[in-house]
Amino acid sequence: MRIKRIKFKNYRQYRNVEIILKKKADNDVNIFIGRNGVGKTNILNAMNWCLYGDEPHFSKESQRIPMLNLEAINEAKDGKDQDVVVEIEMDVGNSRTYTFIRKATYRVYEGEILPKLQGSTFQSLNNDEKGNTINNQDEDAKEIVGGLVSQEMREFFFFDGERLDNYFKIATAQNIMHAVFVISQIDLLRNRIGKNLNSILKDLRNDTRKESPKIDEIGSALEGKEDELGKVKQKIEDYKRQIEISKEEISDCSDKLRGIPDIEALEEERNMLKQERKHKKDLLDKKKKEKQDCLFEYQKIFMLYSAIDKSILIINQKKRDKELPPTIDKSLLEEIVKNKNCSICGTPLSVEKEKRVRDLLSEIKLSSVISEALLKMENPLLTFKDKIQNFSKKMNNLTDEINDYIKNIDSSEQKISKIDKKLIGYSDEKIRTWQEQRRKHEDLLSDNQKMLGKYEMIEESLRKEVDELTKQYELELKKETKIGFIKKQMDFCSKALDVVNKTEEVIVNETRKQIQSETNNIFLHLIWKKNTFREVKIESDFNINLIHKMGYECLGTVGSGERELLALSFILALQSTSNFSAPILIDTPVSRLSFEHRVNFAKVLLDISSRQQTILLFTPSEYSEEVSKVLDLKYSNKYILKLKSNEKEIELEEVLNV
Amino acid sequence: MSEIPDRLNIDKKDRELYNKLDLEEITRFKDKGGTKTRKEQFIFAMAYAFNIGKKMPIDAFDGYFLEKDLHDDDRALIYAVAVYDTKSVEVLADMKAVFKIAEEYAHAGIILLANNKIPIGLYEIELEKELSGIFKKI
Repeated sequence: MRIKRIKFKNYRQYRNVEIILKKKADNDVNIFIGRNGVGKTNILNAMNWCLYGDEPHFSKESQRIPMLNLEAINEAKDGKDQDVVVEIEMDVGNSRTYTFIRKATYRVYEGEILPKLQGSTFQSLNNDEKGNTINNQDEDAKEIVGGLVSQEMREFFFFDGERLDNYFKIATAQNIMHAVFVISQIDLLRNRIGKNLNSILKDLRNDTRKESPKIDEIGSALEGKEDELGKVKQKIEDYKRQIEISKEEISDCSDKLRGIPDIEALEEERNMLKQERKHKKDLLDKKKKEKQDCLFEYQKIFMLYSAIDKSILIINQKKRDKELPPTIDKSLLEEIVKNKNCSICGTPLSVEKEKRVRDLLSEIKLSSVISEALLKMENPLLTFKDKIQNFSKKMNNLTDEINDYIKNIDSSEQKISKIDKKLIGYSDEKIRTWQEQRRKHEDLLSDNQKMLGKYEMIEESLRKEVDELTKQYELELKKETKIGFIKKQMDFCSKALDVVNKTEEVIVNETRKQIQSETNNIFLHLIWKKNTFREVKIESDFNINLIHKMGYECLGTVGSGERELLALSFILALQSTSNFSAPILIDTPVSRLSFEHRVNFAKVLLDISSRQQTILLFTPSEYSEEVSKVLDLKYSNKYILKLKSNEKEIELEEVLNV
Repeated sequence: MSEIPDRLNIDKKDRELYNKLDLEEITRFKDKGGTKTRKEQFIFAMAYAFNIGKKMPIDAFDGYFLEKDLHDDDRALIYAVAVYDTKSVEVLADMKAVFKIAEEYAHAGIILLANNKIPIGLYEIELEKELSGIFKKI
């Protein structure tokens, strides 16, 4: 089966576009190249919307944009309807063609941003043997699509390249189990037959309970415990899945963070160093201030040294001459002479006494004011002189301390600079996100492991209770002769359920083995390292193992190219096992691969295109010179996607392969 | 005993020159982000000129700070300058004369300081060198 034509009308950026996909003799590879944001992925969305009615590959930004083309909205008049149509023509072999048309009608109102959906239709057109056109609508058309590629299977045909990268990284066993269950189509057994049998069994048990109060009591307790057990089992499954996802996420983030410095720890250290630097700068400023004050203080002492020294000498001399401290108040004597009267006893001075006072006055060289001043000067001047002795030591100490702080600050700055150098080139935000993600999953893992342990204990205890109640219930049933027939029916149902479970197990196992064998064949055929791998194994617990030629399991250590190829091989194996023959459409098929693997992968895709239609949506950087060297010689169609100048419509430029 | 003047003066023109001391952190006035008082700046200028041996009479007196702000150690220095300058302790009996001497040195000092050619910010280094030189001589 292959897609011959896709026609768009007013679908997002595709205003009026028709893409014809012709097949070349050897390869059926169709290439679309468009930069991010142009609308490449909307080819994938358009196919899904046309065939299944949804758009599963949306970016967050696109979700807010209406499906109706923006230019069509602009041109529409108030209250007028506009149709969005995607039409896919498929060649299903034997000259049979199906055309699927999905149409949605929107009404545009002036002043409202989003047009309102009025209704939608889905139809399929095909020709019968006589050449008549058969038109199937809605559910019938849906059934026809389901027959070509069922909705459950489409994820294995139309997907994003990222899926290949993640397939065997996150919840591997869960992914494989899900895929095997889908392919096995065991839904019929599990959901229809199994559920019906359980329901009948429950009804029969209810019937028995009516016959005896004892049976009713035990049956009711048993039913309650079984319900409880079912819920606990579901919880255990959920926790197991969450644990697996967390483990994969932790490993994935650790891979990404390998070789990258621990940004958070470095930033913490950087902040600490900055604080330390600030503290040291404050201390340095304080010390500098101290030195300034010291210099300021010494300035007056040194520059006035000769005055200080001279005054001290004079004071000392006066002391030696016993002029200091003064024994007689000079001013008092002067006052007595002046008044010719004794200021102390009040008697007038005789000539003889006056002469004596005058003689005394001539002997006193210093007045009490001067003596007092000199005495007051003495101590401060001596202190200043003493300070001079410490000048050199004090200055040296302060200078050394200042230099130490400068050295410390320099050292902190060097450390900060080293950290800055380490951090250059890393996107803080990205790394932080990985670290946060890893921490979140480490917490989740720990919590979920605790919860799993708790629920496993509850399960064990419930199972014992259920076993015990079942024994009691059966014992009571044996005692009750009236319900022999019901018991036979119950036995039958139980046996039938056993058969269903065993059949389910056998089908799942066979499907698993078949997929394993196909994956193995495809992978070993496509892999570029022909002598490295021995086989691919899908274990009974649905874990996938890639076995090295030397015999050891090596999936965890292979490069992204090999891992993506294994995922692609697995998907191709699922396709082949499912017996659906549909085109494979991969969006950004090599974006997560290294240069070397991109070339190898391009060769693989070319190989696949020799067997089935392969539609590849590349970004220009993905479609590098080396990739184009592989695909340019063989492609059937190559389109370049560009936005028109109004940025609301896309135009396709076909590059002919001559 | 002569009367003690209640203030110490500078020349009216010196106010502007004292503002130049604010350019250096070491001598900056406390209201301009520094820690030094008017009295400290005055003594600084007085000491500077005394060391050089230059004093200048004041043309127009302008009160700069109050006498009561002087501490004993400030007085000791001002008295010592007066004693040294007059080569006599008798001057200490005349506080007007003592302060006049101090004011004349400070007047000369502030003119010298304001006109020095040391780039702003380097005065501290120069002062340290100068003081070390004096210390060696002492």
